Amino acid sequence: MKVSISYPPIVNELGQKAMVSQNRNVQFFKEPTYLLPVTYAQAGTWLKNEGHDVYWDDGNAQLKTYDEWFADLVAWIPDMIVVESTTPTMKFYWQTITELKAALPDSIIVMTGYHAMRKPEETLDACPADIVLLSNHVDFALHRLVDFIAAHPDWRAICELEGLVIRQKADDLIASSGPEYRHTGSFRQVEPLDNSPLVDRDLVQWQRYAYENGNFLQTPGTYATSVIRDCMFGKCTFCRYNGPDLTFSMMSVERSLDEYQDLIENHGVKEIFDDSGVWYRGREARAFAQGIIDRGLHKKGCYFGINTRFEYLDEETIKLMAEANFRFVLLGYEAADDETLQRLNKGYQLQHVEKCLTWLTQYGLHPHLTIMVGYYWQTREQLDKTVSEVKRLMFSGLARTLQVTLCTPLDYTPYHRECIDKGVLLTDDYDDFDMSKLIVETPLPHDAYYQAVREMYSIAFHPRFILRQIGFLLRFKKREWQFLFTYSLRAIRRVRQHIFNLTRNETR
Amino acid sequence: MPTFKVLENRQLSEHTFCLKTERPSDTIVAGQCFNVGVPGSGVNREYSMYSDANAPHLEFLIRQVEGGTVSPALAAVEPGDPVEVDGPYGEFTLKTPDDSSLNYLFICTGTGIAPFHSFAATYPDIRYQILHGVRRDDEQYDAAHYPAGAYTSVLSQGAKPQCVTDYLKSHTVDPDTIVYLCGNRSMIIDVFAILRDAGVPGDNLFTEVFF
Repeated sequence: MKVSISYPPIVNELGQKAMVSQNRNVQFFKEPTYLLPVTYAQAGTWLKNEGHDVYWDDGNAQLKTYDEWFADLVAWIPDMIVVESTTPTMKFYWQTITELKAALPDSIIVMTGYHAMRKPEETLDACPADIVLLSNHVDFALHRLVDFIAAHPDWRAICELEGLVIRQKADDLIASSGPEYRHTGSFRQVEPLDNSPLVDRDLVQWQRYAYENGNFLQTPGTYATSVIRDCMFGKCTFCRYNGPDLTFSMMSVERSLDEYQDLIENHGVKEIFDDSGVWYRGREARAFAQGIIDRGLHKKGCYFGINTRFEYLDEETIKLMAEANFRFVLLGYEAADDETLQRLNKGYQLQHVEKCLTWLTQYGLHPHLTIMVGYYWQTREQLDKTVSEVKRLMFSGLARTLQVTLCTPLDYTPYHRECIDKGVLLTDDYDDFDMSKLIVETPLPHDAYYQAVREMYSIAFHPRFILRQIGFLLRFKKREWQFLFTYSLRAIRRVRQHIFNLTRNETR
Repeated sequence: MPTFKVLENRQLSEHTFCLKTERPSDTIVAGQCFNVGVPGSGVNREYSMYSDANAPHLEFLIRQVEGGTVSPALAAVEPGDPVEVDGPYGEFTLKTPDDSSLNYLFICTGTGIAPFHSFAATYPDIRYQILHGVRRDDEQYDAAHYPAGAYTSVLSQGAKPQCVTDYLKSHTVDPDTIVYLCGNRSMIIDVFAILRDAGVPGDNLFTEVFF
């Protein structure tokens, strides 16, 4: 079959592009960040390996306009088009699918993604998509589905593969009887993650994602095939990796090491980031770091980055990771008050934050904090505490970079459902969920949260912060010089953009 | 992080112990997990509860991991010592424990029996079978706590080594059974495949992977 995995360019009224890929909250950026959707890349690789004709169709990374993207896709005449949804892009996708169906009536359109999997009928009612996939394991689900459809012309009636909602008649949106859908049951992924192939870098044109990404201190950089699917914690209320239908699975250490070796030795990659919700910990983390050292990959001038949680990595592990040339460590620091962390089910305690950051910094890694503001309960005291703690951590050098977002309920996560249940959502227009403004009732005027965003991002320009970064030069490590002279220039460009994006709804 | 006193630290086998602590006042649902660690260590791990959700204490069934960070430290704590206990978290719970028409099959390996012990203690009226994969007979933790016939262990070491997958291949599972799986990843993967082949739908399968 001819299968297109498609990401149409989505451009807002300000000319900013939406960044959509798995585990990414949609945000619009003028300065682009191109993120490789790893699971979809594995899905495409799997289909290609099985002999299907796969069109990797990322209109954003391929720098196409919407019209160019649309024309190219229509000209390719796919048998199946796979798209990925999240709340703020739903209306756009419904319109796009309607247009695609008009131009390609015989193409099967599969809607995937966290929003649609929670509300499949909504999408089938709103547009002529043929299938909604009820799983984020698109690689495992798609390779079975495509094979089945290829072998069974009457697939709509007989397909029993679990995790699908199937439109029963192709043209039922205009039929007098109305649409009819068939659920094939819940999808429960319990297969070894090692069964899904490593990403085919040529298929996805990896170099298109290798430069415009703020996480890379050196380029070309790339995302590794994620070693963890879903999350080993999986209980944070605002996160998509939360739900009884999502299952944690882990790739073997040796397999991941093989990929790193290939990326470094055969692709010349200088920085590798694993965007697993939470990377290995404990025994596997140490085995991986030791494996990097044993293979001599720590001396190839390539940095490694991961996401982790506070309280997951101990000092011995961090020390070994530093030896293995890990650099970038991204940690969710959602707030600096216990009540918020408890409400979010974060599962870590503030008292351990400093210890973890101290270890990371002591061994030369660069901790990056991701902070959120604008929870529907967030008081002045809680907000001020978060701002002042973030300042303290940044000025003291315990954290090196940060990212602040407005907490936006999305994709019917527990936090989203909580906002609905408590009646604090200010809009039900999905276009408003693009994280550019607060959409929940809050104890403080929204401007207070926008000001907090501005204040935290402005740390990057503060003399105390800059002086502290200069102080790191005395470590005489290449990464510190790169950080100050290369990364800082890029960061400033991006920080200004973030401030603009997140405070443009502030009352002036 | 909230600290609670250790009430008892009971060695159950060479590598496994049952840690009994005071409990937080929060509502706890049987099968949920907690983050547990030694104060000041800066590192914690999630452990499923072992005890009755309504009991005045918490119990955790913990295997001491060789070269591990948290479990050896917890193995060394004594009654009266403080431990960090944060939670509860998670949804690995029985959805309708009051529905007496349901038949449950709890399949586990090693300390993966913890949430099922919690289910059994909290909901004594549910109809269940436990299939417990262990290496040796001293790992049949508190087998006497279950009603006669409700607990079956499969030993992977000894005269006739067997694992839960062997057992399942030679026994029939009613597709209407509600099956909960807890334990190591490879067991869950293998058992899942066997159950699917036996016609148990995905909606009837619930898993909790111990790393």
